[in-house]
This record gives sequence, C-alpha cells and structure tokens, in this order.
Amino acid sequence: MRIFIAAAVFALIPRISWAEFSEDIEKPKPEFSRQGDRVTAKLIPRGKSTSVLIDFEVSGGKLTKVSGVDFETAARPEVDTKDFRSALFMAEVAEISPPGAEVKVKISSKFFSSSTQYHVFNEHLEKPWMISEAGNIALPDFLQELVVTVKDGGPYDSDGAADGKIVFTGGPRDSFWGYAVGTLFIRFFGVFIVLGVLMIGMIVSGKIFQTMEKKKVKPAEKPKPPAAAKEKPKSPAPDKKEVSPEMATAVAVALHLHLSSLRSSATMPLSVPRLDSWTQHGRQQMMEERFLIFNK
Amino acid sequence: MSWDQVLELIKSILITQTGIPHMTGGQVIMLCVGLLFLYLAVAKGYEPLLLLPIGFGIFIVNFPITPLMGFSENGNPELIRFFYKYGVEWEIIPCVIFLGLGAMTDFGPLIANPKTLIVGAGAQLGVFITYVGTLFFGFTLKEAASVGIIGGADGPTTIYLTTKLAPHLLGANALAAYSYMAMVPLIQPPIMRLMIPLSQRKIRMRQLREVTTREKIFFPLIATALIVLLVPAVAPLMSMFMFGNFMRESGMVRRLTDTAQNALMNIVTIFLGVSVGATMKAEVFLNWKPLLIFGFGLLDFVICTFGGILTVQIMNLFMKEKMNPLIGSAGVSAVPMSARVTHVEGLKADPDNWLIMHAMGPNLAGVIGSAAAAGMFIAMFQ
Repeated sequence: MRIFIAAAVFALIPRISWAEFSEDIEKPKPEFSRQGDRVTAKLIPRGKSTSVLIDFEVSGGKLTKVSGVDFETAARPEVDTKDFRSALFMAEVAEISPPGAEVKVKISSKFFSSSTQYHVFNEHLEKPWMISEAGNIALPDFLQELVVTVKDGGPYDSDGAADGKIVFTGGPRDSFWGYAVGTLFIRFFGVFIVLGVLMIGMIVSGKIFQTMEKKKVKPAEKPKPPAAAKEKPKSPAPDKKEVSPEMATAVAVALHLHLSSLRSSATMPLSVPRLDSWTQHGRQQMMEERFLIFNK
Repeated sequence: MSWDQVLELIKSILITQTGIPHMTGGQVIMLCVGLLFLYLAVAKGYEPLLLLPIGFGIFIVNFPITPLMGFSENGNPELIRFFYKYGVEWEIIPCVIFLGLGAMTDFGPLIANPKTLIVGAGAQLGVFITYVGTLFFGFTLKEAASVGIIGGADGPTTIYLTTKLAPHLLGANALAAYSYMAMVPLIQPPIMRLMIPLSQRKIRMRQLREVTTREKIFFPLIATALIVLLVPAVAPLMSMFMFGNFMRESGMVRRLTDTAQNALMNIVTIFLGVSVGATMKAEVFLNWKPLLIFGFGLLDFVICTFGGILTVQIMNLFMKEKMNPLIGSAGVSAVPMSARVTHVEGLKADPDNWLIMHAMGPNLAGVIGSAAAAGMFIAMFQ
C-alpha cells in the first residue's frame, strides 16, 4: 500500500519539481602529466573509488599532447558509455617522417585486462567507431599494454590527411556486462567462502572448547561401572531405612491432603481474564521493550 | 523616509530574510513526505528509533534558505552538515552503531550451530540479484551496489556502503532499508508458506548445545581475525561489532558495555537519523531513482528471504539431521524481527515447535553475511 502511495505521489509531482538526475556523476576527469616522451593520465574510472594511471607513448613520432574527450561528443547509438570506463582520449602525434608513415601508439595501465580492446573514433567516417586491432601485451607487475598501429592519413587519423601529424581519438573498452555479471558471481560465492571459513573455524574451536570442558569435568567424577549406568540401584543407600508399604501409603495420603489444601478452590479460568487498560499497557510495554534494544 | 522606501524595505526583508517567497512545490512535497514518516514512526510505531529522526530531518531541511545543510561564508559546515560530515561522511556513526550492536548481541545460538552461517550467506542472494537488476535501469555500478545491500536488512551497513559508494542515494536507501525492516512480518510469511510445505514447516530441531562463556569470549576474536583477513575492506564495521561483543562477553567492563548498549547507541542514533533525513532535500530526492529504489528494495527483501529458505532446503539434501527451512528466512538480518516471524510461523504449523533460538543463529549470521557482502562491494571498487 505504501508503494502505491509513493508511486502516486511521484506521479503527481509537476515535472519542474523533479531534480536533475541525468548528469553523468561517474564521468572520469583525467589529469595529465608528462615525463619525457611519456604522457600519463590520472583518473578515477567508472565503477572505481581509487585513481588509476594510463601511460601513453609513441614510437615513430613525437607525442605532443594527450587530452580527455567528452564522451558526449562521440556518443553514437552503436556504443555504450558504460563500456568505456576510463574515458576517451585524444592523442596528437607530430614529426612523422615521412608523411603517411605508420606510428605505434602504446597505451599501458594496470587497470587494463587481457580482454581490454582499444576502440578508435573518427567523426569524419561513415562509421565513426572502429575496433582497433591492438595487440594486448602482458608486462611484468600486472601491467597490460595495448599497441595500436596508426597510419598518418589512415582511418584512425582524425585529421584525415597524410601531413606528418596524427590526431588519434579513442578509448580502452571492457565489456560492462561481462564485468558486472562476472564479478557478481565471484562476489556472491565469495560471501559463501568467507562465512564457510568462519563456520569451519567455529566448528573446530567449538570442538576444542568442548573437549577442554569435558577434561575439566572428568577428574571430578567418580568412575562408574558400566552395569551401574544401565541398571537402577536395587539396594538402598546404607543410611536410608526401608519404608514399609503402609508407611508409604500414609505419607502419600498426607502429602496429597496438604497439597490439596494449598490449591485454590476456584478452577483455572479457561479464558484470559479481563485486564484493565493499565495492566494491558504495562504488559504491552514489557513485551515491546524486550525487543526494542535490538532495533537498529 | 517615504512610504515607497518603507515598502521597498519591507519587501526586501521579506524576500531576503524570510523563507516564504522561496518556497517551492518540491519542498512542500518533501515536507509532506517528512510528515508521513513521522506519522509512521509515532502513530504506527514503525521503527521509531530511526524513522522519527529521519522524518524530522526531512521536515526541517526542506524549508527554504535554512542554514542547516550548507556551509557558512567562512567555509564551516552548518549544524546538520556538521553532523553529516563528521558522523556519516567520515563513517564514524555506522561503526559506532555496530559497536553498540555487538554489545547487545548474544552469539550463543550461532556458536552452538555454526552451519547456520551458510544460511546467512544464502540470504544475501537478493543483494546480488538486485545489483544486476538495477543496472538495467541505468544505475551506475556503485549505485547498484548501494541499492543491492538494502536486502541485507542491516541499516548501519546500508548507510556505510551507500556513503562510500553513492552518497547522493543515502536518504532513499536508508529510508527503504528501515521501512522494509519494519515490514518484515508482512513481507516474509507469504513467501515462507509458498516455498515450504507444511510437512517441512513442522520439522523439529534438536535443542542447541550449551555454549560456555569461554567460547563466547573467544568467538569475537576468532571471527574478527578470519573475516578481516579475508575481507579487509569490512574491518571498520566488523571489528567494532566484535569489539562490542568482546566487551560484553568478557564481563569485566560492564560500565562500558552498558554505555555502548544504551547511551552511546542513543546518541549516535539521533545524529544518524537527523543527518540521513537532512540529505533528502527536494532538489536531490525528487526524481525517479528513489522510487525505483523503493521498488527494488522490496524485491531485494523478497529474494533474500527466498535465498535463505532455498539454502536450508539445499543443505537438508546433504544432512542427516534436517533443519526447519523456516529458519532460512531469518537469514535476512532484521534482528530479531525475522527470527520472531520464523518462530510465529513455526508455531502456526506446530504449536509445540519453538524455533526462536534456532532462528537466532541465521539471524546473526545474516549480520555477518551482509557485512561480508558490503566488504565485497567495497573491494570491487577499490
């Protein structure tokens, strides 16, 4: 019922009151730094809380500049923002000799995986998005390098001219759903593993503690012969006298009469007696307070 | 001074120093939402310890130009922003609440039957399914994780994870979590009756063994060591939880235990509720995402209940001594509400079958399970 009320409330809200929630709050915002011929981008990718580093290097030319590209400018129906977790980059390469030659653009990061691809964007083409045939090389220290061969004036060059300069736009792509569902299974079974390990730890420690308790109790007990454990003792204790049947009957009757006199003469009411409001309130409060402390 | 000037002055005072001309339709709606939650807390008694301060937080922060959730001119946080920044944003309050919870908790039923930890794990099924489901509706990975954890039915864990991953959803997630925790007696029984035939609901379980004080003292140490080694990301929550429990079980610091259970819990609950409520300003809250969160939260609870029961039924295939599948629903860690629901349903099937203590095992396991799930999500995004 509450859900319907909430839905009705929201349906009646005038559109102008609605908050702007369509902005991309996880948009990576890379910061660039240069060390010699290498340009490093530092950014927090989508789906992460910590920053990653992506290095850009070029062989066969000079890497003059690397900048971030807003995905909105490259958005097309055939691609999904979610697959480009580390944003898009535009790399400018100059001093390509001779014009029309090929350069190798190397993009490396610990954030990439063996299945990461590099997708290239060229807005001047009929199909602007292309999957580059980047080599994916595993380097030491969990580093993954993508090597894209770009021809000056070729389809990957956004300026479209074999002029000794390349403008190369694109970004690393990982399958969003592959990552989401894959990690889901791993994490879900991870919970089982964690609690399973805890369960084993508790079973083992429980057995140890139970053994310790048994050892504590054992020296205090007198050893009983096996027959004594099964049979009731037939002979009375040495200090107890045998009671004759007449005496036993007399004692039983006396006890019965004594206990009968202690019982209320009124029969137990079958129905719950009517309570006044004060008593009811007190009982309710007691019951509530038993569990109130557990409310979080 | 002429009359025109006086009128001009009055107009200027009205516009710049009163809130009346700045009131928006969205704020009126949010005031009504705040009043609704106050009504639920006061008149209906639904989770009043949290819904009352949350409702009041929503109420006070949705008046215009109030210096409550912003920053002053010299950059200092205003009153409720102060509570939020240093309590919630810095993740202090959820951890302190866990300290108090640990001081209240008796792990005896769980220690006596450690198999119920697996039930607590199975009851996290809804968390992960909701996580995938929300992705289809345009939620980001972090938002999806923060919505998914609602099904863990653990308020502090929900707040802790949401603050870390998607703080803009804090209000909606916390409200959904606490609202549905209060509705566990309505949500769970139909699922339990649907999934469990009457013959299985009548299963009687052997009385739990006695748990010694020494075991209860060592349990928090062992549990902390194992959980923190496996999921370091959840160390702040779990270590505080087990610290509180260790204080309780040691029996040597009754004053501290008493403070943790009572005064400290009450203090942080007040600040938490008001801070969470104050995040729900009209310009943040009024959009389609909170509505979806409420819908997914309900689905989350349903699937978690299903997961817990299914886990017990699967375990029974391999065990000689069967467990009553009703205790699977207690894996949803609304302590002790869902254990009570299990007990009541067990009594309906068999008036002589007392399941409350058997259900407390999975109930407490669910607390650890939901914290482990939260730790998994945090680690995923690191």
